[in-house]
Amino acid sequence: MTRTLRHSSQVLAFGLLLGAAAGCKEVPPEPAAPPFDELPAPTIEELVVRRVEQDVARADPSASFWRDVPRGSVALLAQPMVTPRPEATNTEAVIVQAVHDGKAVAFRVVWRDPEPSVGGRLGEFSDALALQFPSNGKDETPVMMGSAEAPVHIYHWRAQYQRDEEKGKPEMATLYPNMAVDMYAMDFKEAPGGTKAQKESFLPARTLGNPQAFRKQAVDEIVARGFGTSAVQAAGAAQGRAAWKDGRWALVVTRPLAVPERSVLKAGTESYLAFAVWQGGKGEVGSRKSVTMAWLPVKLQ
Amino acid sequence: MAKVHNWQLGRDAEYPYEEQRPRRQWAIVFDLNKCIACQTCTLACKTTWTSGKGQEYMFWNNVETKPWGGYPLGWDLNVLERLGRQDWSSNGEYLGKTIFEAAPPHERVVHFNPSDEDWMYPNVGADDCAGGTLDGGAHLDRATHDKWFFYLPRTCAHCTYPACLAACPRKAIYKREEDGIVLIDQSRCKGYGECVRACPYKKSLYNPYTRTSEKCIGCYPAVEEGYQPQCVVNCIGKIRVMGFISPPAKAREDNPVDYLVHKKEIALPYYPQLGTEPNIYYIPPVHADPRYLVQMFGPRVHEAIDRYRKLSEDRKTQGLLCLIGSTDRIIHRFDVRGNVAVAYDDASNELVRVPVTEPMHERPAYDARVGAIRNNTP
Repeated sequence: MTRTLRHSSQVLAFGLLLGAAAGCKEVPPEPAAPPFDELPAPTIEELVVRRVEQDVARADPSASFWRDVPRGSVALLAQPMVTPRPEATNTEAVIVQAVHDGKAVAFRVVWRDPEPSVGGRLGEFSDALALQFPSNGKDETPVMMGSAEAPVHIYHWRAQYQRDEEKGKPEMATLYPNMAVDMYAMDFKEAPGGTKAQKESFLPARTLGNPQAFRKQAVDEIVARGFGTSAVQAAGAAQGRAAWKDGRWALVVTRPLAVPERSVLKAGTESYLAFAVWQGGKGEVGSRKSVTMAWLPVKLQ
Repeated sequence: MAKVHNWQLGRDAEYPYEEQRPRRQWAIVFDLNKCIACQTCTLACKTTWTSGKGQEYMFWNNVETKPWGGYPLGWDLNVLERLGRQDWSSNGEYLGKTIFEAAPPHERVVHFNPSDEDWMYPNVGADDCAGGTLDGGAHLDRATHDKWFFYLPRTCAHCTYPACLAACPRKAIYKREEDGIVLIDQSRCKGYGECVRACPYKKSLYNPYTRTSEKCIGCYPAVEEGYQPQCVVNCIGKIRVMGFISPPAKAREDNPVDYLVHKKEIALPYYPQLGTEPNIYYIPPVHADPRYLVQMFGPRVHEAIDRYRKLSEDRKTQGLLCLIGSTDRIIHRFDVRGNVAVAYDDASNELVRVPVTEPMHERPAYDARVGAIRNNTP
């Protein structure tokens, strides 16, 4: 059940643009990414974010441009601090690359996952990845979800959310095509005199404005102040786009360098980054995840 | 983990949070000898709370046939199997491990996660008999026989030590101080499904449309107004009563739930060995296999059945069982005098007054007024 998760026209346009700008004489054929992602990547102690001239806000994971950006491997372990946690590490490493254009920064992350999972039905969970930044820019911030005094700023991509963005939030008939339903009593409230509140009276999470119950963007922006405190924020300018191929996810998350009161990155300075990966197909969700155990220094050229 | 007292086990037990009992604890008592699985409770709940998208499969209240039925399929077998063999002492103390105590280091409880197929067949096993041998079919040719089954109506047990609450890494589940009702905060839930995995009774359910988990809310808006939940007031068999249960040391003789559970001791929690101190209580069925009943209700089940069989000598309990289903208000106090049972609310206002034994009327066979023979055709 391979699922195409990219906008091919956008991919091509951006690939051409960046490919040309990076000095490539000819347009590389697409898709040539898989062999590239199979190359071994050195373990890195810090991530250098290369400055480029192009607008990176719409970078795509399969753009040929990434071939010229250094790759580094970062090790993950099964989240060890709070239960419930995975019994074993399901994602052992991510391979990361990054570029910025002075306004936005793009992170390309590749990790092994034997099958793409987008969740949706009961007992199904989505593949996901999170990038975490210390709000104060300092590595004293607890790397595991921050603390009350030192919050963390998280970009949380889910395959499920990307599907929402691309195809809309799935209706029940999409999730369960063979399900028979006589009627939804409250749908009749759409008749004259009916109100939205009446119609949604059987959707409490929606009535209460829980972001979970609405159509999502591929990336959630979250602020956390310790375990169990993560709170989804109003959508910022972040974007995420991923494609699964040959047992690997390749994801690009772009964010503005400066997101006031959440986390601020600045060209020529250093900040920190941490990762978490969920393999939905192995039942990973919430605190069941693989994480980096220490902050990775990020140097912006 | 903290040590908390669990009176159903007769000992202290482990739980991730400290013991903190609510001011009052919501509870329902069901008389399983009277349930006919008409599912009126199920539909009362369904139409009130779960008629929306993503709730198509949801039954916060369900009635299943024991031993073969289960919603989701095999929920009880799955949790008992994962817990493994555990024992009670002869004096009613639980010697085994609870789902919290038996949890592996990386989990908070012993659990399993049903697949969606497991939720799709709420009527599998309905009315199927157990007992004896069924080789070649069963033929009932005597007044007594070894075939049995019984109906088990179930809601959330609003446990004193909820596994759902313990398992939620976001602390999005809370137990209300005012009535002990356990709720999932629909504004904070992210649908991790940890409560669905953890609840041994499988009464937390995932809504794939809102992408949050939902559960029985104990009809708290009714309870706040002094009314019993929908599943209780719509029970046509008058088999259930909702009230507030006290811990044993504070039990009141005139509180209906305290009386049935702590004083008369004819109502028992189900699967107390799981360690959550569930607050739905059952008067066990008198005709089912005692070995099965011990597994479900613990070793005190034999005494409970003996007492139930002697109810014809007990006017007070008879009176209380007649009050059940006779008012939609929450009964805080009851009194049985002579042939009259009376229920009161928390301000001592009389709610209802019923005869313990209905008066008998004999009518002549011939009705002279209309000039017809009366008959007793129902």
